[in-house]
Amino acid sequence: MSAEPLPELDPVIHAQARLRVVATLNTLPDGDQIAFPGLKDVLAMTAGNLSVHLSKLEEAGYVDITKTHRGRTPVTYVALTKRGRAAFDDYTKAIRALLDTAGGTS
Amino acid sequence: MTDQADRPEEILRLIESQQALAIRRFTPDPLLAFSSWGVAWLVGFGAFFLRHGLDGQAIVPIPLPVAIAVLMSSLMIAGGCMAYALHRSGGQIRGRSAQLGIVYGLSWAVGMICANMIAARFVSAIQDEALISLLFAATAMLVTGLLYIAGGALFDSWAFTGLGVWVSAVNLVGAMIGPGWHALLVAVLCGGGAIALGLWLRARR
Repeated sequence: MSAEPLPELDPVIHAQARLRVVATLNTLPDGDQIAFPGLKDVLAMTAGNLSVHLSKLEEAGYVDITKTHRGRTPVTYVALTKRGRAAFDDYTKAIRALLDTAGGTS
Repeated sequence: MTDQADRPEEILRLIESQQALAIRRFTPDPLLAFSSWGVAWLVGFGAFFLRHGLDGQAIVPIPLPVAIAVLMSSLMIAGGCMAYALHRSGGQIRGRSAQLGIVYGLSWAVGMICANMIAARFVSAIQDEALISLLFAATAMLVTGLLYIAGGALFDSWAFTGLGVWVSAVNLVGAMIGPGWHALLVAVLCGGGAIALGLWLRARR
């Protein structure tokens, strides 16, 4: 028997790069935001790549993107929304459930 | 290149390793946050211990201004290490944690200024220089212990709270025994404890 095709997993989060983005943002406490360059460094992604994934996450309502200025320099801050946090929570629960049910077969 | 991890255990491992990396980046380096203060206490209070000895006889006759300068400069170096660690871990983050951090930092300033001014109020009434040193040291370490305990609650860190309880207990015992002992116990037990805690936390990262 082949492995389960992982049904019911949130496709927005299931892409590896976006999963890493969401997992990282989820470690920040509620009410905190991280500057784009800081997030880029932790993830070791290129700016272009990260931007694309953040746009997808923003479309889904999972991240909140705030553009502001620090002095004269524009800065972008990113944070997980409540919905994003809940989605990540559901996703990890689903993965754990899959692991439990698949426990004896693999 | 596939953009998806397929097996649940791989996915879980990916999440866990990414989160561990993120927490490491977003938490101050324990060597700079804890061990640097440990070194400062060991060196600074060590100087006072050598000056006062256990029974009032100096072990090394370090002049008072030198002992004060050694303590103050080692504390300032530790403060610099701490500021660097906080900048590195939190420099890219804004929001509630940063606001809590500012209020917490202010409470250190208020606590230390008040403790020092209250101790200074008694200087002219106390003849024994070693007792004056004890008064300044014990009030400052009282503030330190309490703010570590509170900091642990604020930033969800048992290590922080544990060190606070340890510092408070050592400070109390030392103050009860006397000036030389207080300096020795704070230097060795608080200083050594903070150094060990930093090393242990660093090794676990």
